[in-house]
Amino acid sequence: MAVVMNPFPDADELIEREQLSYWQDVRKRFFRNKIAVIGLVMLAMMVLVAIFGPWLTPGDYKSARNIPDLPRRMFNEAGIFGTDQLGRNLWHRCVRGIGISLRLAVSVALISTVVGMVFGGLAGYLGGWVDSVISRFIEMLYAIPYVLIGIAAIAIFGSSFWTVMFTLIFTGWVNTARLFRASVLQIRSNDYIESARATGATTKRILLSHVLPNALPPIIVSIAFSISGAILAESIYSFLGIGFIEPTPALGVMIRDARTQFQPYPHLLWVPASILIWLTLSIVFIGDGLRDALDPKMRGVD
Amino acid sequence: MGSYLLKRVALMAVTIWGALTIMFVLLVAMPGDAVEAKQGEKAVAAGIQQNIRRKYGLDDPVPVQYVKYWKNLASGELGYSVQNDKSVNEMLGETAKTSLRLAFWGGLVQLLGSLGLGFLSAARRNSVIDKVSTVLSVTAQAIPVFVTGLLLQVVFGVIPSNAGGFLNKHLNFVGFWPSEWRFGVIPKENWKVVILPAVAVGIVQMAYLARLLRSSMLEVMRADYLRTARAKGLSMRRVLVKHALRNALIPWVTAASLAVVETFGIAVQTETTFGLFGVGSQVAESALIQDTNPILGLTSIVVLATAVTLLFVDLLYSVLDPRIRVGSKLAD
Repeated sequence: MAVVMNPFPDADELIEREQLSYWQDVRKRFFRNKIAVIGLVMLAMMVLVAIFGPWLTPGDYKSARNIPDLPRRMFNEAGIFGTDQLGRNLWHRCVRGIGISLRLAVSVALISTVVGMVFGGLAGYLGGWVDSVISRFIEMLYAIPYVLIGIAAIAIFGSSFWTVMFTLIFTGWVNTARLFRASVLQIRSNDYIESARATGATTKRILLSHVLPNALPPIIVSIAFSISGAILAESIYSFLGIGFIEPTPALGVMIRDARTQFQPYPHLLWVPASILIWLTLSIVFIGDGLRDALDPKMRGVD
Repeated sequence: MGSYLLKRVALMAVTIWGALTIMFVLLVAMPGDAVEAKQGEKAVAAGIQQNIRRKYGLDDPVPVQYVKYWKNLASGELGYSVQNDKSVNEMLGETAKTSLRLAFWGGLVQLLGSLGLGFLSAARRNSVIDKVSTVLSVTAQAIPVFVTGLLLQVVFGVIPSNAGGFLNKHLNFVGFWPSEWRFGVIPKENWKVVILPAVAVGIVQMAYLARLLRSSMLEVMRADYLRTARAKGLSMRRVLVKHALRNALIPWVTAASLAVVETFGIAVQTETTFGLFGVGSQVAESALIQDTNPILGLTSIVVLATAVTLLFVDLLYSVLDPRIRVGSKLAD
């Protein structure tokens, strides 16, 4: 048994503390954050609905049904959310809408994060003309409002899942690239990178085992916020009539259709709007929780 | 200062050129054009289509169109819209007024609201107002602007008009958008209608700016010179306004000027919600029939305006904070 010399024998009880790795500590602090856990539960419910919902609600959810006797309100014979202005089952459409939003947003966030990390990392690590070219290109894209890029994309490719996805990636990677470039630049100037290079580590090794782990925390937070951002952007595109269009049951499309109908049929607005807010709010809660949990300055603070 | 300004302007020119070229390439790369999209169920004879293309210069080779675009832009012309045979200047001129008015009032709500909210939540930490601004800043990230707009219309339109009487008289803010304006921005009649759209636009960035002002004010309030000011007998109010607010304003001004640039985009997203026909709706309509010039024209205006604003913000820094010397910290 090894005996550890204690330089402060009087302060024995003070230095007794659970030894946690950074990631263990992050996990502990994340799950202690009530709001973050609420967000996680809210999101899990939506994910479950998106996965198992279509299986529980088979049948046509796109074409209009002529059911004159069925009142257009919640809790009619059709289901808990009732029917919409065309007699379609609103619950069936919302289930699909949640699926579309989640699938789109997660793929947009992951792909644009990878693209952003590649370009931002190259710019930050290599510097010089590579940095100038990439940074200028980022600035150029940043100067164009993303709604206008969406309008141009819809004019070129027409409305489809892939157009919306491509547009959101095209406008989304820029933020990650900026963020990643800044943190790579900051990490690169640290002394431990210098000493790693002095001991003969290759560029690949420095990038993978020194730069990447240290630049990862802000990227994880940004993935969460790009998911909620993509859900919002998709709904804005659809609402403006340049994203998904009828009869695709995207949440933005449903809110757009409710715009002129909410005085007689308020549930057409409340139901999809509440689902949309539920989704984005859950992800914002998780993102906020992650940001606090990943902040190394907050280590050991409860 | 001179050489810094020159470098800054040159970079700005490169950004503008690149942004507009990206947009031009995107729009010219598309298959088909407005002439094809405009024809009805019966196809128009190829010869006539060709004539229409010639009229609008759509049959020119792409490089020629590109040069023409820049020549026109230099003289302030944005080309012609095939859709309604009008110049884009004329077309956007009508609708841009609506969008700009909305952005103006939204921007005002956003700036004044964030100043008030930020100042109060820093001066009275953990008070009700502080908590309200925290909740607002989270929800503003999660609720899209058109949903806020629709919710506001339900609360201050549908509900009072269903209730009738007193509520309908004083709490109903929905109505026809004013047609006549004093100085271009002040509605002559029916001013109540402007409130809801302005709040919907302003609230998006108001909470974020307020949080920013709050945290930078709290940081300043911990500084030694504030303790000195208190110690020499200045009242708390004077210390807060004269010292804390003034020094905390520098980061706020930067963020607020960037936010003002975005306000126009938010106004464009909001206008449909309130049934206004602004540039957003107009250009979305153009997109559906592949009428490229209005899209390119609006992009040109927005990109130029954004670049000029950003330059202005950079220069404003050095005026506001003499410690920042132009050309040293900002140059990278």
